[in-house]
Amino acid sequence: MNRTFLLQQVLNGLAIGSVYAIFALGYTLIFSVLRIINFTHGAIFTIGAYATYALTGSQFGINGLLAGATLPFALPFVLALLGGSVVAALSGVIVERLAFRPLRARGADPLLTLVSSLGVAVALVNITQYLFGAEPYSYPDPLQGLPTAMNFGTAAAPVLVRTVQVVIFGVSMVMLVLLTYLMNATRTGKALRAVAEDMTTSSLLGIDTDRLVLLTFVISGFLGGVTGTLIGLSVGVAGPYFGIAFGLKGLAVIVLGGLGDIPGAVVGGLIIGLAEAFVPAQYIAYREAVPFALLFVVLLVRPQGLLGRAQVQKV
Amino acid sequence: MASFFATYDFLLVSMVLAAVLALTLYLPLMAGQLSVASPGFYALGGYIAAIMSTKIFPPGPGLYPVSLVLLEMAVAAVVSGALGLAVGVPALRLRGIFLALATIAFVQILGVVALNLQITGGAVGIFGIPQPFANPIEYMWLAVPLLLVSMLFVARLERTRTGRALVALREDELAAAAMGVNPTYHKVLAFTTSAVLAGAVGAVSAHFINTWNSRQGTFDTSVNLMAFVLVGGSRTFVGPVVGGLVLTALPEALRGLAGVDVLPGWLASFLRDGRLIIFGVLIAIGTVFFPHGLITPGLLRRLGRGRARAR
Amino acid sequence: MSVAPAAAPGAPAVSGADLLVVDAVTCQFGGVTAVNAVSFAVGRGELFGLIGPNGAGKTTLFNLITGLTAPGGGHLRFRGEDITGLPPHRVAERGIARTFQNVRLFGELSALDNVMIARHVRTRSGLVGGVLGLGAARREERETRERATALLDLVGLADRPEERARNFAYGDQRRLEIARALALEPELLLLDEPAAGMNAGEKRALSDLIRSVRARLSLTVLLIEHYVPLVMNLCDRIAVLNFGQLIALGPPALVQKHPAVVEAYLGDGA
Repeated sequence: MNRTFLLQQVLNGLAIGSVYAIFALGYTLIFSVLRIINFTHGAIFTIGAYATYALTGSQFGINGLLAGATLPFALPFVLALLGGSVVAALSGVIVERLAFRPLRARGADPLLTLVSSLGVAVALVNITQYLFGAEPYSYPDPLQGLPTAMNFGTAAAPVLVRTVQVVIFGVSMVMLVLLTYLMNATRTGKALRAVAEDMTTSSLLGIDTDRLVLLTFVISGFLGGVTGTLIGLSVGVAGPYFGIAFGLKGLAVIVLGGLGDIPGAVVGGLIIGLAEAFVPAQYIAYREAVPFALLFVVLLVRPQGLLGRAQVQKV
Repeated sequence: MASFFATYDFLLVSMVLAAVLALTLYLPLMAGQLSVASPGFYALGGYIAAIMSTKIFPPGPGLYPVSLVLLEMAVAAVVSGALGLAVGVPALRLRGIFLALATIAFVQILGVVALNLQITGGAVGIFGIPQPFANPIEYMWLAVPLLLVSMLFVARLERTRTGRALVALREDELAAAAMGVNPTYHKVLAFTTSAVLAGAVGAVSAHFINTWNSRQGTFDTSVNLMAFVLVGGSRTFVGPVVGGLVLTALPEALRGLAGVDVLPGWLASFLRDGRLIIFGVLIAIGTVFFPHGLITPGLLRRLGRGRARAR
Repeated sequence: MSVAPAAAPGAPAVSGADLLVVDAVTCQFGGVTAVNAVSFAVGRGELFGLIGPNGAGKTTLFNLITGLTAPGGGHLRFRGEDITGLPPHRVAERGIARTFQNVRLFGELSALDNVMIARHVRTRSGLVGGVLGLGAARREERETRERATALLDLVGLADRPEERARNFAYGDQRRLEIARALALEPELLLLDEPAAGMNAGEKRALSDLIRSVRARLSLTVLLIEHYVPLVMNLCDRIAVLNFGQLIALGPPALVQKHPAVVEAYLGDGA
């Protein structure tokens, strides 16, 4: 196979995969601490993207209740990104307080929490659509000074990756390192892992479980918002339902990597990105089915995922 | 009266079909399995009917024969059942969340396949599906018997050896197995029966809606069904039926309210368009405040006693 | 009957009267060996006790016998047939029924329904026959109901057949669990701490119930129990486990005085 072509596909795969990876980090973090699948992560992703858009002072289009609205100020992109992600984090916390905490308080089955999160996600996405319409938006370009693409090949056989994709890959690696450091090398991380093991015992030992759960949702929501904006930057904001599509695909990523496993989220994301990139041209239409086919197979063959540990059921 | 049916004909049939679909979620749930695979079989059934009626049977003058619709329903039921068996046997070894995820994956895969096959008409789908009836309301001739038969089936099931086995699995799978109930066999049985029913509903719906494409039988459908069962009631067959009927009618009822001048504009349009928002919120509230749904066996017992006393 | 601890591995003598043979069965969870090469045989009609300190592996042994857990090594034979590694419902089919250490009734269902469910392996009507209400299915349904009612009567719970199982008092729940296990028409009944949480009077009644059930239904009973006087009084032979190993096996009087047993329960310096 042509080496240039191969390299191009690999880089494309890593580029897509790193977006999935950042998304999955937030998704899997919640599972690692609370043992629940938080499908609202996809809705938070959407909220982050739309909040950033609003904060850049951009105008919402012709559909939706808030058609034509803009904020009275406009922030530079990076600040808008941070602001939008903070809004996303706050939304995550509100969802936690209203929807998940009551379930946790009565020891509800994780399945019930998943169902609740499905309902909340759909509600939030549709509220967003109701307010802002479903048309696509794009951000004012923050990378204007930089070249639009970087060449990883030669002048004669160029292997191009868009600069924004390189930035995203870089962000995903930074996030992975930060989160791994947090979980393994800090006291907070140790407390989080204790809560993951056994919440009741942890709280009896004096660990402030409420605050830690809050922190988990803040980090996860922030990451979701960052992903939403980055994807919006890369391919444009394609309507609120994009969050649902991401939420669904994210399931495949976190199961493949291993539910709750942080490096696993990145590994899963990159693998699925690569798998999508390497779909042969004649089957390109079925690319969207690849993550779900992988999900189905992994569930049957190795449900703990690539990096997860097999769970022994105590009778 | 005639104008009532004329205005609400589409809604009434939709309500009845929704109630049957709700039962397809209820069946695996009887065995404690949350499977959102029904929309996939529903889509499959619809495609089978659409393909059979537009490509296989020659278009004649006048109405499409009802007997052919019944044939399509039978074929859809059998094919869905076969696929249900093929998917169910491996998938139902999974428990809880893992099974739910597998069924989500299944529906997504089917959706992509439907979007891309030549025979399913790709993104456009199949349109101009022949009509067996002159008026939409006449679809009740198919929908109502389908609902009654499925209700009867499930009601009877709850009183038989097989039904007891399913419920035992739901209550405590380990103890049920220790008492001799084969878990995989019964779970697959419930799943396959659900697939058969969903396929039949899909076949009728394809004719009813007149077109069929990959927007039928999606993740949104799963959310609708979960709302029907979670809010209606997940411990008795009456729950999903009532949930399906009422929640399908709800947006229309709210639309009617929105016509009333008293409401502010934004609320009116919200009630008109916000079906999924309402369902989503109801699901979230339901898991906290009424996890077994509104219609529980306890409620039915109390109503039954009340009526007996009144006699 | 030997009083010495189980000796070298190897199949113990299988006499014609042995109903259950546990042959060098081993089970490990992660790093912990829960059951370590345990061997013994239970004769037909015996009332066989299994005692030992907490964590000795008694319930794990029950789980191995009934197929809830697969052994890492060794064999299990029931009526001469190798049942090692069979799933729980197949073990139940062959005639082994059990109760659980933490009562596992179908809480939301009525007492009668709980017992009727356990008639599953002794009945045959399928989905179609049941739903259509065909004659054979209806007859079988009636018979199931009658037998279940009779079993509730046997354990003294016939007055509240429609009551939800979770509403019963703890001691009654344990008796209901026994009725449910008996509905399987087992040859071997495994009781896991049936007397837990009972007062003295209830314990006596339970003892009588076990004896009478054994006699009337020609059962073989394998009993895990912490309350030693009950076991000593009731059982023909007792096996003692400690840290997953069989340390004594024999009639109550001899086992009671066995030094290894005394040490296991009371520790050194007794």
